[in-house]
Parts: sequence; C-alpha cells; structure tokens
Amino acid sequence: MSMYLTYLTIHEGRIKRASLEVLSHTRQLAREQGQRVGAVILHPRASSFASELGAYGVEVLYVVEHPIFEHHLNAPVLAALEAVFQEAQPELITFASTEAIKDILGAFAERVGASALPDVAAVELKERVEALRPVMAARVLARTEALLKPVVVSVRAGAYDATEAETHTTPEVINIPFTFDASTLRATLREVIATATGRVDLSEAEIVVAAGRGVRDERGKRLIEELAEVLGAAIGASRAVTESGLFPPSLQVGQTGKVVSPALYIAVGISGAIQHVAGMANSKVIVAINRDPDAPIFDIATYGIVGDLYEILPLLIDELKKLKAQQT
Amino acid sequence: MKICVCVKQVPDIQAPFRVVDGQLVFDVERYVMNAYDASAVEGALQLVEAHGGEVDIVSIGPDSVTETIRKALAMGATRAYHIHHDDISGWDAFVTAEVLAAFFQGRTYDAIFTGKQSQDTDAGLTGTILAEKLQLPYVTNAVGLALEEGTLVVTRQGDVGQEVLELHLPGLVTISNDMNDPRIPTIKGIMQAKRKPVERLQLQDLGVEPEKLQPRTRVRGYEPVPPRPPGKKLAGEPQEVVRELVRLLREEAKVL
Repeated sequence: MSMYLTYLTIHEGRIKRASLEVLSHTRQLAREQGQRVGAVILHPRASSFASELGAYGVEVLYVVEHPIFEHHLNAPVLAALEAVFQEAQPELITFASTEAIKDILGAFAERVGASALPDVAAVELKERVEALRPVMAARVLARTEALLKPVVVSVRAGAYDATEAETHTTPEVINIPFTFDASTLRATLREVIATATGRVDLSEAEIVVAAGRGVRDERGKRLIEELAEVLGAAIGASRAVTESGLFPPSLQVGQTGKVVSPALYIAVGISGAIQHVAGMANSKVIVAINRDPDAPIFDIATYGIVGDLYEILPLLIDELKKLKAQQT
Repeated sequence: MKICVCVKQVPDIQAPFRVVDGQLVFDVERYVMNAYDASAVEGALQLVEAHGGEVDIVSIGPDSVTETIRKALAMGATRAYHIHHDDISGWDAFVTAEVLAAFFQGRTYDAIFTGKQSQDTDAGLTGTILAEKLQLPYVTNAVGLALEEGTLVVTRQGDVGQEVLELHLPGLVTISNDMNDPRIPTIKGIMQAKRKPVERLQLQDLGVEPEKLQPRTRVRGYEPVPPRPPGKKLAGEPQEVVRELVRLLREEAKVL
C-alpha cells in the first residue's frame, strides 16, 4: 500500500489552517484510492503536533526535528524532505501554497523526479492527478494533468475546508534522523525583519479589510485599522499602498502577493485591477467601497457602496460598534 | 560581476480573450516581456552600474521573441542569446529549465536571475528547477539586492516578514516585481540595442535533442472561472447606506 503525504506548515507554534485544509482533502483522496494518510512536519519540536493529527485521520507522521527549521531556509528543507521522501515513497505530496513552499517546490520536484502542479485551486484524481490552476492573473482556469509519478501539488488557501476525519487515528510517529552541517550552506540567513502585520494573520483571517489607492494618508490608514479592530479582521492592501510605504509589503494581496479567500473581504478604495482581484476573487462575500462608480471592483462585489471612504468608514465603524454592543 | 537574466516573452495578461472549446482565443495576439523578468533585468543592471560588470540575456522561443530580447538590450543589457525553437507551446517548466541548464553548461556567470514567476502561468517553478539542475544556491522572491565584498545580500519577501540572506556566488535569484520599477528604454538605448550582439542558438547547439524533451505536465484545456452571483449596489444617504450594508451582512450574507 502506498501513501499520500501532506506537508504541514507550522506558524507561531500552530499547524497552519491552510495545511489542515490540504490535509483534509488529501485524506479524502487517499481514502478513495486505498492509500495511507501520511503527514510530514519539519520543526524543532515536530513530534509535539502528533496528538492533534489523529482527529484529521493521519496514520503516519514523519517528523524531522532540528533547530535549523526555526526559520525558513531552502537547502535544509530540501534535504529533509528528500530524506522523508526516500522513507515514505509517496505517490502524491500535497502542500499549502505559502512563500516558503513556492521557494522549494520546483527544486524538490526536480530532486525526486516528480511532476509539479503549483498553486492550484483544486486537485482531483482522474486517470492521472489533475489540477485546476488559475492562470492569466486568475482570469481563467487551466486544467493541468501530471504525466509522471510521483506528483507534488501546492494548494491555495481556502480551496478546501479543514474537516476532521470520521474515524480518528493514533498516528505512528516516525522520526527521520537528520544531521545538517550549517557550514556547508551557500545561502545563509542574516536576519528576519518581521513586519507588523496586525493582530490577525492575513492568510488565515475570516475577515479582511483591505486598503487601496483611495486610502491616501495616515488618517485613512487609521480608519482601516479601526475598522479591522472592530471586526477582528486582518488588514490587507493593494500594491499601490504597499509601494507608497503606507502599509508593509507583507500585507499585499494579489497575483504577486498573498492569495486570500476569507468569508468577508472589504475592499476600501480599491479599484479592482486584475492583479489585485487575482488574489481575492474567491472571497465568499466582497464589499466594495469606492468613489468611482465605474471601478471594476464593483463587478465582483456582493455589496457595493459608491462613496468617499473618509465619509463612509467612520459611519460604518460606529454602526459596527453599536452592533457589537448589542451582541454582548 | 557577470549576470545572465533569463527572460520570457508572454501574452499580455490584460488582453481580452475567450475560451473556445477549451482553448484560449485572443482577440488580438499581444506579447510582452514577462513583468517579473523586466524587474530581474532592472535589478541586474542596477548591480552592474554600481559595481561594474555585464548583463547577458537568454530567451527561448520563435522569431517573435526577438522583440523582447531587443527590449532587454535597449534597457541596457550587454548581449543576448536567443535559443530558437518554433513551437514551445507544449513545454512545461521542467523542459524550459532543462534547455536553460544545457545553455549554462560551460558558461560562467556570477549570478543567474529569473523573474519569480511568469505572469501568464504563475507557476514559479523554472528558477528553482534550474538552480537544482545546476546545483546552485538560490533565493526566491527577492525584493532587495546588494553586493557586499563579493557576496550577494538578497532580501526576500517571506510569509511573515522579510528574510535577509547572504548568497555566496555563483548563485541564482528569482526576482519580484516589488524590487523595482523597470526602466523604459530611451531612444538612445533602442538605437544602441540594434548594434548589440544577439547570438542565435538551436537546441542541437546546446546538445539537446528536441524529441527527447519530455514535459511532466500538460494543459488539457482551459475553463472559465465560475462567475460570481450578481451583486447589489447600495445607493442613498451615507448613513442609510451603511445601515443597510450592516443589515445585509448580518441577515443575508450572515457573515457578522
């Protein structure tokens, strides 16, 4: 019996929700095909996550524990994944599509002789592994098949729901011995400049308040922050306002930034350029607030308000505060 | 320092198209230099302008690719290599990287730059496959570059912040469009580009047998993105509109 393996990303001491989404879908595919459900974690304390994975039906958890995985570095991740691959011999390896995974997916596929289906919106098993890939700035989907096994697939956040398994398991934990000589590294990490990203992680948020070019100044920025605060939302931004320096680049949503699909996306002063829409069009409910009635964002908005954000946001913040007071 | 930038010609993603029988049909075929590659050319030019050196360009494709190559030369690159092949439509990142790897065999560069992804397919695989094939250390999604005593200091945008890496050369970097705004070629640059050397290479010149190139993935067809249900535009007095929005978010969309 072969195995389908899901790579689990650890973020701030927790398994990333996007990884659990991918795991849930991969488990379903594995069950249909009579494959074992495997997972892999590279982290200094990887085995500590085993207990919560039984609920997700994981049968085998491969762990590689080493201090070097505290921060992302491609060379040790590739070496560790290769070692896990040799041990597990999976036919399918799935990942949540993060910047860290984009950093290694091609090189890893090349190293183990796999096909690669990156950044997909859906993955299905037909005669071969098939994926729907948003292309041309997510204006169209390319149905792409893997011609060669094994197959590595990275899946966009929000493509699937994170669901527990009907039957819980007790994962067998397999510790892969790993030594890494840091002196052999030819790309070394000097520092990580953490950017203030607000209290809620953008890629995991249920609600995103996103600022665009219409947010012109510190006053506008404060309104965005206040709206995010009252909603418990993460802050996102279009390229215009990350380039201007008003918001940090890690908050950029779009083709070149983060792809998000929250339950509610409030686009404030965002025109809706295709590069931005590519990163948020799968949000369940989209609210657009923009002065320009012809802004393309209104074409995809569930609810649109034509108006000045400097007038609308204070009213909206007040109204939401009142609602919150009623609810508590 | 000597840098080679891999440049791809791609369809203009803004161009109108339709899906007909699973194929993309453009109203007007319009091709441009991949925007991420343009940032890679710009990043390379800025480095050699500050520290001395040369920027070479390599691109793969039919005759039409000449236009993109000339643009890179007009921006300021020194010379170009055009790996000529008429039909690359079935190629995936693995085939492209294999051909590029053959090109780089026996050539010496301090650094290879690529765009972080191609704006038409957004796959972002070619750069790291190439680095793996050439056994080069690499950094992806670079937003900053500096040369310090022969080491390339590369800032990449990671998941939670910016990671500053020291890349010991030779190495490969994939470049984000957030690094810079690529320069627009000047008239003088365009005139000079006409006299710059462009060497045309066939796959056979690189020791690659075209019939042996095996893509690992294949696009079976294109499908339209499922349309979103039509939305509501709320009009009226701002106070009323905001109240109505909150009501709809609670009662209709049920997201509050």
